[in-house]
Amino acid sequence: MSKKGWGIALGVIAVIALGVAYWLLAIPGPMSFARGGTVALADYNGANPTGVPTELAHADLIKRGEYLAHAADCVACHTAQGGQAYAGGFAFNLPGMGTIYSTNITPDKETGIGNYTDQQFLDALHKGIRADGARLYPAMSYTSYTYMTDADALAIKAYLFSLPAVHAPARNDNLAWPFNHRGLMKIWDAFYNADSRFRPHPSESAEWNRGAYLAEALGHCGECHTPRNPAFAMNNRSKYAGALTAGWRAYDISSDAKSGLATWSDNDLASYLSTGHAEGHGGAAGPMGEASDDSLTYLTAGDIHDLVVYLRSVPPQDTDLPRAVTVPAPASHRQGVTADLDPRGEKIFAGACASCHDWTGVSPLSKYATLTGARAVNDPSATNVAQTIINGVNRKTAQGVIFMPAFGEAYSDAEIAAVANYVTARFGAEGAHLTEQDVASLRKQVAQQ
Amino acid sequence: MVTLQINGQSHAVDAPDDMPLLWVLRDLVGLTGTKFGCGIAQCGACTVHLDGKAVRSCMLPVGSIGNRAITTIEAIGETPTGARVQKAWLDIEVVQCGYCQSGQIMSATALLNRTPNPDDSDIDAAMAGNICRCGTYVRIRQAIKNAAKSV
Repeated sequence: MSKKGWGIALGVIAVIALGVAYWLLAIPGPMSFARGGTVALADYNGANPTGVPTELAHADLIKRGEYLAHAADCVACHTAQGGQAYAGGFAFNLPGMGTIYSTNITPDKETGIGNYTDQQFLDALHKGIRADGARLYPAMSYTSYTYMTDADALAIKAYLFSLPAVHAPARNDNLAWPFNHRGLMKIWDAFYNADSRFRPHPSESAEWNRGAYLAEALGHCGECHTPRNPAFAMNNRSKYAGALTAGWRAYDISSDAKSGLATWSDNDLASYLSTGHAEGHGGAAGPMGEASDDSLTYLTAGDIHDLVVYLRSVPPQDTDLPRAVTVPAPASHRQGVTADLDPRGEKIFAGACASCHDWTGVSPLSKYATLTGARAVNDPSATNVAQTIINGVNRKTAQGVIFMPAFGEAYSDAEIAAVANYVTARFGAEGAHLTEQDVASLRKQVAQQ
Repeated sequence: MVTLQINGQSHAVDAPDDMPLLWVLRDLVGLTGTKFGCGIAQCGACTVHLDGKAVRSCMLPVGSIGNRAITTIEAIGETPTGARVQKAWLDIEVVQCGYCQSGQIMSATALLNRTPNPDDSDIDAAMAGNICRCGTYVRIRQAIKNAAKSV
C-alpha cells in the first residue's frame, strides 16, 4: 500500500477508536435527560430538594440521619444473611470477577468505622475512597451517593455512630486478576464517578427535584435498574431500562408503554413504592423486597409522591419485556397451556402451587399471591419466577408478613425450570424456556457463601 | 373482633386480622375436624370451603374473609354432594389413619360440585395438593368416581 493508503487506513482506525472510546467512556449523567440546565444547590430558588421531609425538619440529627439511612438503604448491603445489622459480610457475586463482601459500618473502632473522621466518611460516600486511602469497588454505590449533600451524609454518619458497635472483621475478598488491584479503580473513577453534589434543574418542578434527589442520591435506583456497559458502569443512555443484578432481574422502570411503567396509575406506583405491592401488578421479592421492607416503606407519603413524579419523567426504554397480560388464566387445568411444555411443570403446579395461586392465577388466599399482571410472570426469561420458587418470599410489611415457602431444596433444577416455564406460559404473555443449567446458574448467582 | 360465617352460623372471635383461619377454627371456635399438617399449604389437611371453593385454611388470614360462607368437615355431610362423598368413602373403606381425610373429602366435594363427572386428569388437578401418608390414593380416586356415579 502507498504512504497515502496507510495514512487513510490509520485515519479510519483513529476515528473508529475515538468512536469506541466515546461510546465507552462519555456516559451521560443520570439526570441528563431532564429539561434545561442545572444550578448549584445554593443558587436554587425552589423548595430544598435535599435533606429530610418537612415532617422531620425539627427532629434531632440522629433521627434525621436515621430517615436518610433508610432512604439510602445502607442496611441491605451492609448486613449478612442472618448477621447483625450494619456489621457487613454480605457477598456480592460479580460474574467474571469474583466475590467481594460488604464491610462493617457500625462504630466499632477495631473492625468498623469507629475511627472515621467526617472527611473520611464523606470521601467514602462521595469519592469511593476509604479511610486508609484505598479505593472502594463500585458495588458500594458511591457513584450515586456522590450526589448526596455533605450535611445528609454526615447525618447518616451520626446515625451510624449512635448504633451499638459490633465486632465483625471484614471478610477477605476473592477477586480474579486484575480486578483485585484496587488502585486501578482510580482510572475507572476518573471516567465514571461524577464526584459532584446534587445540582437541581430549575426548569423542572420542586417535586421533580426532590424525587430526583431521592432516586439518584439516596435510593440509588439506577445501580440495579440501569444496565451496565462493558466497563460495568451505569449506562445512562438506557436509563432505568432494567438489568440482571445479583441473580434477579431488576425490571424496566422507564415510562415505556410495553416494557415499563406507562400502564401503571400514579396510585399503583405509590402503592408499590410504599408497600412493595400494587394490585394487578404484583409485588416485590428478592432484592426489591428488601429495598421495600428496609427502605421505601419508611419514606413519607410526600416523598413517595415526589419519587413517582420523577419516575414518570424518565424517557421510555423499549426492551424484550412484553406487555403484561391482565386477564386471569382459565379455571380448568385443561385450558391455557401449550403442548411443548415439560409435563412435570403442570404436575408440580397442581400439587405445590395451585392451592395458593389457583389455576386462574387469582389467589383465593391473598392478593399478594395473585400472579395475574405481575411483571415477573410476564417476563420471558422467567428469572424472577425461578428465583422466587427457589428462595421463597418472606417480607415483613407494615400490613403483616407476606410468606411463600422456599422450594429450592425440595425440587431439582429440571423441576424448577419446568414449573417456571409452565407459570410464565399459563399466566404470562410469553412462556420461558429455562433449562436445568439455567436454574443451576441462577442458584449460584444468589448464593451467600 | 372478627365475625365469621361458619357452617351457617355467625361466630364473633377475638382474633388478629392476620391469624390464619385454621387456628381460629380449631383453637377459638372449637371445630377440630380440620387438621394442621404443614402450615404452608403443601399438604391439604386444612382444606375448608370458602363460598364453595376449596381453600387451605392454614394460609388464609381471617381479616380477609369478610362475610363469605365458610364450610368445614363438620357440616359438609349436610350438603347433597358432601353426603354422597362421605357414603362413597365409607362404602369402600377409604380411610386408614384418617388424618388427611377431612381435607380429602373437602377437596373431593368441591371437585364434584364443579365437575360432576371428573376423569383421571380432573381428579389429578383437583386432588394433587392433598397428601396421604398412608397411601390411600387408589381408594380416594375410586371413591370419587363412585360418588360421581351415585347421583
